[in-house]
Amino acid sequence: MHSMISLGSCTMKLNAATQMIPVSWESWANIHPFAPASQTGGYQKIIRELEQYLCEITGFEACSLQPNSGAQGEYAGLMIIRAYHLARNEGHRNVSLIPSSAHGTNPASAVMAGMEVVVVACDERGNIDVADLRAKAEQHAQNLSCLMVTYPSTHGVFETSIKEICKIIHQYGGKVYMDGANMNAQVGLTSPAIIGADVCHLNLHKTFAIPHGGGGPGMGPICCNASLAPYLPKHVFAETGGAQGTNAVSAAPWGSASILLISYAYIKMLGGAGVTDATRYAILNANYIKARLEGAYQILYSGENGRSAHEMIVDLRPFKALVGAEDVAKRLMDYGFHAPTLSFPVAGTIMIEPTESESKAELDRFCDALLAIRQEIDEIAAGTYTHEDNVLHNAPHTIDVISADKWEYPYSREKAAFPLPYLRQGWKFWATVGRIDQAYGDRNLVCVCPPIEEYMHS
Amino acid sequence: MSHFPHPDRFVNRHIGPNKHDLQEMLNFLNVKSLDELIYQTVPDTIRLDKPLNLPPAQSEYEYLAELKATAQLNRLVRSYIGMGYHGTITPSVILRNVFQNPGWYTQYTPYQAEIAQGRLESLLNFQTMVSDLTGLPIANASLLDEGTAAAEAMHMFFAEKNKRAKPGEEANEFFVADTVLPQTLDVLRTRALPQNLQLVTGDWREYVFSEKTFGVLLQYPDMHGAVEDYRAFVEKAKAHEVYVCVAADILSLALLKPPGEWGADVAVGNTQRFGVPMGFGGPHAAYFATTEDFKRQIPGRIIGVSVDRHGNRALRMALQTREQHIRREKATSNICTAQALLANIAAMYAVYHGPAGIRGIASRAHEMAKALAAALENAGRKIAAKHFFDTVRVEMPAGELAALRQKAEDAGINFFYDQTGVQINVDETVTEHDLAEIAGLFGAKSVAPVATSAVPAPLQRDTEYLTHPVFNSYHTESDMMRYIKRLENGICRSCTP
Repeated sequence: MHSMISLGSCTMKLNAATQMIPVSWESWANIHPFAPASQTGGYQKIIRELEQYLCEITGFEACSLQPNSGAQGEYAGLMIIRAYHLARNEGHRNVSLIPSSAHGTNPASAVMAGMEVVVVACDERGNIDVADLRAKAEQHAQNLSCLMVTYPSTHGVFETSIKEICKIIHQYGGKVYMDGANMNAQVGLTSPAIIGADVCHLNLHKTFAIPHGGGGPGMGPICCNASLAPYLPKHVFAETGGAQGTNAVSAAPWGSASILLISYAYIKMLGGAGVTDATRYAILNANYIKARLEGAYQILYSGENGRSAHEMIVDLRPFKALVGAEDVAKRLMDYGFHAPTLSFPVAGTIMIEPTESESKAELDRFCDALLAIRQEIDEIAAGTYTHEDNVLHNAPHTIDVISADKWEYPYSREKAAFPLPYLRQGWKFWATVGRIDQAYGDRNLVCVCPPIEEYMHS
Repeated sequence: MSHFPHPDRFVNRHIGPNKHDLQEMLNFLNVKSLDELIYQTVPDTIRLDKPLNLPPAQSEYEYLAELKATAQLNRLVRSYIGMGYHGTITPSVILRNVFQNPGWYTQYTPYQAEIAQGRLESLLNFQTMVSDLTGLPIANASLLDEGTAAAEAMHMFFAEKNKRAKPGEEANEFFVADTVLPQTLDVLRTRALPQNLQLVTGDWREYVFSEKTFGVLLQYPDMHGAVEDYRAFVEKAKAHEVYVCVAADILSLALLKPPGEWGADVAVGNTQRFGVPMGFGGPHAAYFATTEDFKRQIPGRIIGVSVDRHGNRALRMALQTREQHIRREKATSNICTAQALLANIAAMYAVYHGPAGIRGIASRAHEMAKALAAALENAGRKIAAKHFFDTVRVEMPAGELAALRQKAEDAGINFFYDQTGVQINVDETVTEHDLAEIAGLFGAKSVAPVATSAVPAPLQRDTEYLTHPVFNSYHTESDMMRYIKRLENGICRSCTP
């Protein structure tokens, strides 16, 4: 909230107050999920319209708002693909092709849906290796169920071969599941249906403005074409889903219904041109950051014209003899920023996704911070500071450390805590503890509040 | 198009760069227009060739006005449906300072723990609250809903039971009592199918364990509100080396002997009634608690205690190596997003009310339900269960049910109905006036307190819960508001020396 949270693949955009406020209105908050349909006309209207909007945006025919998260959406999507094959007496089709760059939920969901995961390689540009995909699709032609693909890719690139990729899968009798995590680069410019997918989920908590809540709630509705629509999930207490729908994937018929209001408001207040502009500015902001950082950092992967989509991967591996990606992430806290996505999809990198909601001034502050950190890395390379005792290695610097009478670091307190002028102008926040030892806590697992005696020793 | 459009358009509030920024950024990128940048970025083979067909943009004011009208299409009635969702009072101090506060709701998952200690403390409070109330030592930081939480337990049991089984020889039968919430069974059916798990449903009293059985699921109190004594059944399950999951109403555990004290391996449930509005189904935080035996198999995120480089206590997400972003197809589950905001609200509800307050809320619901049951019984109605917590089930013939339903809905009252009866769930929001109104619908007259408990003595809770100082320190609004603010600012009570 203090500053941009530039998490690649997570789309931390504005959660507007006007979108949020009605969620607390009693006429939305105090409705029981199994209330008679005659009493829930308001919800039915929102649900019907939002389903239409999401179908228009994805280019698909039908929508289920039931899944409560992206991973649940993946699972629901794979279950309807499974039902489709079963209905055609092809229940043996259980191979899911998944690119090596996929988010970890993809293979985890595939296994839950009873599928066998076959990994497809990526080429040196980070794109799906089409030859490998074709070979694996052919090899598993008899049992091919689907491909799970993220678009633009988890590397933040609009792969030009996507249509060909989907065609190959269809040619061998499979369906294409599109992971909608990166949908914020598609809305209004292209669509899952255009690229050739059959079903996708949408993270309403990414692209459609539902806040992340510090780790939930989320919503992962799925949209699909007519071939899969009959299998959308039903619910024991409500009229929803396809004619031959699967059983429920969530406890409630429309998942976390009250927060659908947020995405509904997002679309209603932006309109078609506005949601498209959101995508365009998301791409602008990402490419602006990319251009500002180039020269100081190597940006991994980009499209054929050298552009990234709505996010980019900054390679920190060239500095690994000096600092790790985690050091940069923690040092950003001293600069008043939350770190971008760390080591996904490539270890030793950070992935930055600014979203359309950040102004140029905010993007510039963020770039200034990363460029200043680059100079700090140079100081280690130059021997000004040792590998073990420098601002990155010791980050984040807590207020306790900075205010202690004893100062035992080879750099100044100002360099540690206020390395750039903007930090003196209201942008400073403090990490309240120093770098945390992850392994210690896993070896000594305590996951309830420690007893009171423990406080006395600390 | 309007002749007098308001100049304030939401798109200008949502999108960061203004016209001036745009020009500077385009110059920096060496392109003439935003279109040119988009053409360089999105391959022409996949470009959408027409504008999206969505309604024209509304201003924020117009939107809110229209939504108010739409809201009128929802009919606010008195709901006594229960079935896993209950009326609850969100304390205003929590509503304003957590639920409606961007300092809590806009945040990301606390992977960067050094700047998220406050929120981590709140989730640790959630885990402690769940652990205390269920009587089980380990709890996670929430799951998506009760149905999927039960499914996670089923999969965890199956994996553990069969870890040494040869393929094709696994114990694959999961028994679900026919008194489990129907929506939970619905989700279990979906989740069992692709894994070839056999779901068997029926009366738990008659279930015959086989060597194929790996786990069972019970509801406590059951879907009809009855408080059953499952202890002998659980012993039988243990004797067959079968794992037991109990879906339990979190509020009931303030009065009932918790599942962890009678042998459950896992307890799951919804924490919605701890201050989180029903919201037509969600979002709410489900809980998942288990024994030490399963601590490294537990699905979802767990907050754990560790130390920082200065030796101070510090919180962070524990055991991340189990999670899908590391383990991929070998992960214990695909859970990624959880329900952190709602878990925080439920935890704050417990912090604010404390053990005496929670017990008081549970007792009041129980006392009111008993009084109602007695009144209906006096009026000649047949009460289904002798032992119950907060839900009264009345057995009635179908014809009478239809007439009752008509009369109740006309009066703005929702009960839960099935073929043979009607159920009335008494929650925190119910008043004496409500009780009188309900009684009137059944032809009963006065509703008066009843002395004896409707929970049998062996199932009455005699152990303490929420004993930690955090649940016993912030019971005035000032203290609570400041505690929430300190956590929002990232300050963790247990970490400051």
